[in-house]
Amino acid sequence: MRHYDQELPPVRDERLNIGDAYAGNACGLVDCSKSGCMIRNNRGFWQTVACQMALSLMMAATVENAAIVLHGAIGCGAQMHALGLASSRGKLVRGKTPGQPVWVSTNLKESDVIGGGEEKLRETIRYVDAEFRPEIIFVVVTCAPSIIGDNVEDVVRKTQDASAAEIVSIHCPGFRSRVVASAYDSFYHGLLRHISFEPEPYRDYRPPAPSDPQYELEVKKYEYIKNHTVNLWNATSIGPSDEDEVVRLLTALGLKVRIFAEYSNADEFRMVSQAGLNVSLCNVHDDYILKYLEEKYGIPYVIAGMPIGKAATRKWLISAAAHFGLEDEAGRLADYEERLLDDAIRPLLPGIRGKRVLLGGGVVRVGVEAAALSELGMDVIGVRAYHFDNNAESVYEDVAETLGETPVSVSNQAFELVNQIKEYRPDLLITHAGSHGIVAKLGVPSMQMFSPEKSYFGYNGLFAFLKNIAFALENPSYQKRLAMHVKQPYKDSWFEKDAFALVTEKIPKKI
Amino acid sequence: MPSCVERPRSACALAGALAAMSALPGVVPIVHTALGCGGNLSGSFSLGAGYFGSGYCSGSSLPTSGITEREIVFGGADRLTEQIENTLDLIDAELFVVATGCMTEIIGDDAPSVVGEFEEAGKPVIAISTPSFLGDSYAGYEILLEGIFNYYLKPAPEEEKIPTLVNLFGIVPAYDPFFRGDLEEIARLLRALGLSVNTFFTPDQTYENILSAPKAGLNIVLSRIWGVDFAENFQERHGTPYWITDLPIGPEATDAFVIEAAEKTGISNENAKALIKNENEIYYGYFERGADVFMDSDFKFYSVVASNSNYAIPLTRYTERELGWVGLDTYVTDQLKDEQKEILKSAYLSGGPRAELLFETDASQISKAIVKRRPENRGQRYFDSVSPLFILGSALEKKTAADRGAQQLTVSFPAFNRMIVDRGYAGYRGGLHLFEDIVGSLVYPKG
Repeated sequence: MRHYDQELPPVRDERLNIGDAYAGNACGLVDCSKSGCMIRNNRGFWQTVACQMALSLMMAATVENAAIVLHGAIGCGAQMHALGLASSRGKLVRGKTPGQPVWVSTNLKESDVIGGGEEKLRETIRYVDAEFRPEIIFVVVTCAPSIIGDNVEDVVRKTQDASAAEIVSIHCPGFRSRVVASAYDSFYHGLLRHISFEPEPYRDYRPPAPSDPQYELEVKKYEYIKNHTVNLWNATSIGPSDEDEVVRLLTALGLKVRIFAEYSNADEFRMVSQAGLNVSLCNVHDDYILKYLEEKYGIPYVIAGMPIGKAATRKWLISAAAHFGLEDEAGRLADYEERLLDDAIRPLLPGIRGKRVLLGGGVVRVGVEAAALSELGMDVIGVRAYHFDNNAESVYEDVAETLGETPVSVSNQAFELVNQIKEYRPDLLITHAGSHGIVAKLGVPSMQMFSPEKSYFGYNGLFAFLKNIAFALENPSYQKRLAMHVKQPYKDSWFEKDAFALVTEKIPKKI
Repeated sequence: MPSCVERPRSACALAGALAAMSALPGVVPIVHTALGCGGNLSGSFSLGAGYFGSGYCSGSSLPTSGITEREIVFGGADRLTEQIENTLDLIDAELFVVATGCMTEIIGDDAPSVVGEFEEAGKPVIAISTPSFLGDSYAGYEILLEGIFNYYLKPAPEEEKIPTLVNLFGIVPAYDPFFRGDLEEIARLLRALGLSVNTFFTPDQTYENILSAPKAGLNIVLSRIWGVDFAENFQERHGTPYWITDLPIGPEATDAFVIEAAEKTGISNENAKALIKNENEIYYGYFERGADVFMDSDFKFYSVVASNSNYAIPLTRYTERELGWVGLDTYVTDQLKDEQKEILKSAYLSGGPRAELLFETDASQISKAIVKRRPENRGQRYFDSVSPLFILGSALEKKTAADRGAQQLTVSFPAFNRMIVDRGYAGYRGGLHLFEDIVGSLVYPKG
């Protein structure tokens, strides 16, 4: 339980074999991960990407009735305006009260960097608690206080007693990991250390009296429901329609479903422990908390890929159902759903068959989407995973089976993407938000590899996904016209080189 | 009241420098920080400044040293050297600017000495120091200007000086979200007076404009605060005098601006007056037709302005002088030192405004102050309520206005609820745009 007892969360680099630079194929990637060559890989040139702090903020911003104290200098919260808008929208579409979370920067100055920022943090927590009265105050700890050694946990402990809100620290300084997915662990570490996952009598439930003749029945009934309750673990990339789809499938098997941790509130968090099974929706999101919940509450968990595409959805569904002895029912449900889906997607398939598609984004999703689209006849010409860690190995063993010869890289770098697009001239990019402008300027149509506004999961999701692909392929005039007039920042010599020419060993060779 | 800031309307110095460089032709940053700073900050202003977006080599194309824990412990100079070498190899630009962040400044990385080796080898690389704890994005804009114009550019020989060439400074890219339209309108007017103008940050400019800056006869600083120290240092290095003035919004302010600009540049008063006459004819040719909807629909308002130190005063002046609105409060939302506040106060009062000048960074405190200073009717039969109210502010004021039943238009950062392309509010054309946007927001619910 070692990481869980520590005040500070581990970064992915400490607890997993991790990497963010690789070029080869799926089979080689899995080998590289297993042999450890992945952690040696590096680059001689880097372009900026997201920060693990931004992803931590993104998650914290979704929690209902929460406020955020950003402990750092004033720039770190820069993206919160946009994240707050997105979370407000996410709350609205889930039937919760919309609204942007309050966030306050401790606004560290040079004198604080020298003299320490603890007093400012204390003052800010008190101010936010008294002024805005949130249920939870997330204290997001950035680079500067982490380097100067502010004892945030001590401040949190000492302000907690006088605070009406639960204070939850999230340690996510960007320098500690280049891998943004570390944010999931940082966020969950804060939750599991500072937030109660256990219901309280008379607040959350009325305990049955032992003298009640129905006592034993009541207890058994509760246990039955609890044991047939599944906690699903979401993420910002998973929209409400995707949540609805997986809830629909699990409910069809007679299971009760709760969704955590985004868009939950303190009352809902107290129900986390009241489940028979935790089910992940993505291998690299939540193993940290799922393992904790298994240790702490004995709740087993299932991590079985992402339910995108027919094969992956079937696998995910049967894996979750197996815990309840419902594999056969899940198989029959998948058969039935696939029959309906096949009829629905038949008219869409000719439009996408043989189209050359390059995919880039989160490691699990990009692999699962690539396999799904390949199954349906698209020509997957490359897969770009933003990072890699051992949690994704099983997914890439599947990818290796379907797409053995397809180039697979671990790259979140624009210069490599641009080089690949120039070389391969794909018909379509399916890629992570933030790169579509770059792709459009090269004259290639693209679509979102995830979007909380669109559907991807299960059977309804696959139909929507294919429809959106067909739509994206129609009329690429915007991209073509744009590309005629935009100059690339790279020298021509870069395009004569291999896209991954700057992937190097970890220790800089020269200097 | 602690020194924390709620939902700050500006990011760090690095963000200000990056936003400015993303609009500066031929200049590419190399961000010396952890991998995420550039992404976090670019994401902020490429969305928050009216969807400013990313340009030539900004956004996720930004080169960065991407330092990790290893460099925090052992120093980031080697990584920075390698990154500069490969950036020079890969990226096509005239000038590279290494910009530091909090973590590399705290650990004491000496970026100037790393860059020095490249400079000695004749490579166009400079370093600027832009950690967040030293200043916000407005300060970052000025730090960048210092680096390029007062450090990198050599003074021009006296015989190469061009007295009719003018440099424009003070409007802060992205954090003044209308910077491009504003710069273009000011340049249009100055060009109409017969001057040549460097705006630097608009798409018509090239790296040649930057190189020609030391030859200019005058620097115009369209800000009472941002770029003033820089202009003083510029004068010291290049001998170019400067003129500090407010950004003129609408015909009255712009008339005065044109007269004074002509005076400062040796253009005859007749030329200035001819331009003013012509521009006013065009302005009122449009503006007079708006009188019907403006008056028939009772578009007279009490007004509150919440904007930065560049925009708050000109906007207040416009609403009071050109629209005849009754100004109540003018909130300046950037973080200022006391002496900077004093400068703004005296500039403000010289215009004889109705509204009171206040300094407040936090949206919730502005909202509170409006309610406190102008109580709402709590059911009294006779109550002199402040209504109708119009708030010119940022997207953060949208909720404030909705809570109060007021109208609102987003005119400052963050501006998430509108797209800003070549629109500006400066000058005559800008005055018309502002009128169009205000009335447009009022008639939008119709139909």
